[in-house]
Amino acid sequence: MIGRSTASGLEWNRAKWGWIFVAPGLAFFSIFSFYPMLNAIWTSFFNKRLLSLKAPKFIGLQNYQRVLGSEEFWNSARATATFTVGVFVPLFILSLLFAVLVTTMRRGRRLVQAALYSPAVLSSVVAALIWLLMLDPRGLANQFVNWVSMTPGIDHRWLSDGRMVQVSTMIVYVWKYLGYFTILFVTGIGKIPDSVNEAATMDGAGPVRRFFSITLPLLRPTTVLVSVMILIQCMKTFSTQYLFTQSGAPLAPVNVITLNIYNTAMRDLNIGRASVMSTVLFLFMLGLTWVQLKVSKKDEAGL
Amino acid sequence: MTRLVPLREAAAPALRTVFVAASCAVVLVPLAFMLGSSFMPAIDIMRMPYRWIPETWMPANYLRALAGNDGTWMFLRNILNSVIVSSSIAVSTVVLSSIVGYGLAKFRFRGRDAVFMAIMGTMMIPFETVMIPLYLIIVKAGMQNSYAGLIVPFLMNAFGVFIMRQYLITFPEEMLDAARIDGCSEPRIFREIVFRNSGPAAATLAVLSFRQQWDNLLWPLLVAQEEKMKTIPAYIVKFAAEKHADEGAMMAVAVIASLPVFVLFFTLSKYFLGGSAVYQAGKE
Repeated sequence: MIGRSTASGLEWNRAKWGWIFVAPGLAFFSIFSFYPMLNAIWTSFFNKRLLSLKAPKFIGLQNYQRVLGSEEFWNSARATATFTVGVFVPLFILSLLFAVLVTTMRRGRRLVQAALYSPAVLSSVVAALIWLLMLDPRGLANQFVNWVSMTPGIDHRWLSDGRMVQVSTMIVYVWKYLGYFTILFVTGIGKIPDSVNEAATMDGAGPVRRFFSITLPLLRPTTVLVSVMILIQCMKTFSTQYLFTQSGAPLAPVNVITLNIYNTAMRDLNIGRASVMSTVLFLFMLGLTWVQLKVSKKDEAGL
Repeated sequence: MTRLVPLREAAAPALRTVFVAASCAVVLVPLAFMLGSSFMPAIDIMRMPYRWIPETWMPANYLRALAGNDGTWMFLRNILNSVIVSSSIAVSTVVLSSIVGYGLAKFRFRGRDAVFMAIMGTMMIPFETVMIPLYLIIVKAGMQNSYAGLIVPFLMNAFGVFIMRQYLITFPEEMLDAARIDGCSEPRIFREIVFRNSGPAAATLAVLSFRQQWDNLLWPLLVAQEEKMKTIPAYIVKFAAEKHADEGAMMAVAVIASLPVFVLFFTLSKYFLGGSAVYQAGKE
């Protein structure tokens, strides 16, 4: 009897300390994650202005009607989608390609990885700033493209033409994150047992066949992870678009959703409508994460 | 045919090497451009054809970068702000995440898994969604244009808690029990035994958090509207958008802003790249 009560006393004591250690986390995430999240959803139903002393008025779904009915919002959705697709496809293919090439190299692996990764060390703003100068009408980008296509003196309007600005932001992103995702893929490929590849080689499978029949299927957990990471990164892009537009590039083609939220809140001071877009963005991300969880669960079940 | 096979086998690696080397060169071009141009007069940067090595050396670009177009030397103050904010966040993230991670890893209590899931759930909340409510909290607390306002929302993060928990779960239970039998108090066990031995995970987390904040533009843009409270990314945007900004000085700004992270990268690349490995390990 006595023994049991001291045992449960000890257990209780341990539980108490568990709560004490966890408490700062609970407090922090309640104030700085959960409360603002709920607040954003809540505010999306109110007519709330920044710096206004008037009490916000409940207006039901009017903000949603306004936002979802506005050309500007759909333009932002389009800009974000264009950017995401335009970055995803080349970034995914190139980083996978380089990862495969790097893993088959005998020497210089680390050097290549370090070189490819180096742009990722820079801040996003610095990366955008370098390209801002290279994409200048008199800059390197025009010189290079004209040299390759042998069309001297043509200005490709990298930062002034609507389509080209979109392309320019994509270039900055692919350039900056190529090495990062290459390394993720290299790590993933490293986990595939050599014996599988050797067996396939013995059976006469060539490198291309081995890639599609062995590497790609066995790499699935990494491909899912990388895909979701790229998609989430792209949907949250801000710095490049902000720097380019601040330096004179046209806003509409690169007015991605985060830039629109920022401008709606800080320039137009319309917190209610900014919250609608915030909520929509959140739902999108939630959907993506859900897909990722589903897919990785399925992978586990399959193994 | 018999001749072709060895030829193909010999040519493939050579081709691959050429292709990979050329790609690396292309990736490095903008970095070379940044470094070279930071020492050139503006006319040379926009000259056709571009010369990679400066013909006229302009170290004065760096002076102009630091002094600013208006000669107020605000960049120095903004660099200091970035250092203060990023390192405070790195330290607090490591300390707080290991406290919470330790609680989740080594104690059993009812609701622990629910707490863990809730904290992990915050990873799904994009910062862009909560930034405006957060901004309103900071305004209400009167913390705009202050270090507190720049730092507080990033004191710790779910990813940090996750890394520390995963790391501490394998921490030998015997060591903790031995200390308890010796009459060590729980806070002291954490301080003297657990925290002291979480070096590698803590270093990775510190480097990642520092790096992330060094890069942060959006939050300082909201909270720090006064020039003297801006951090480097916000300064860069302002400097680049000014009418008479000099291209050489712009690249000097870029080099100065990148130096600390490059130094970190070369001295601590293990922890730098470790982040992605940890992230992947966690996803399994």
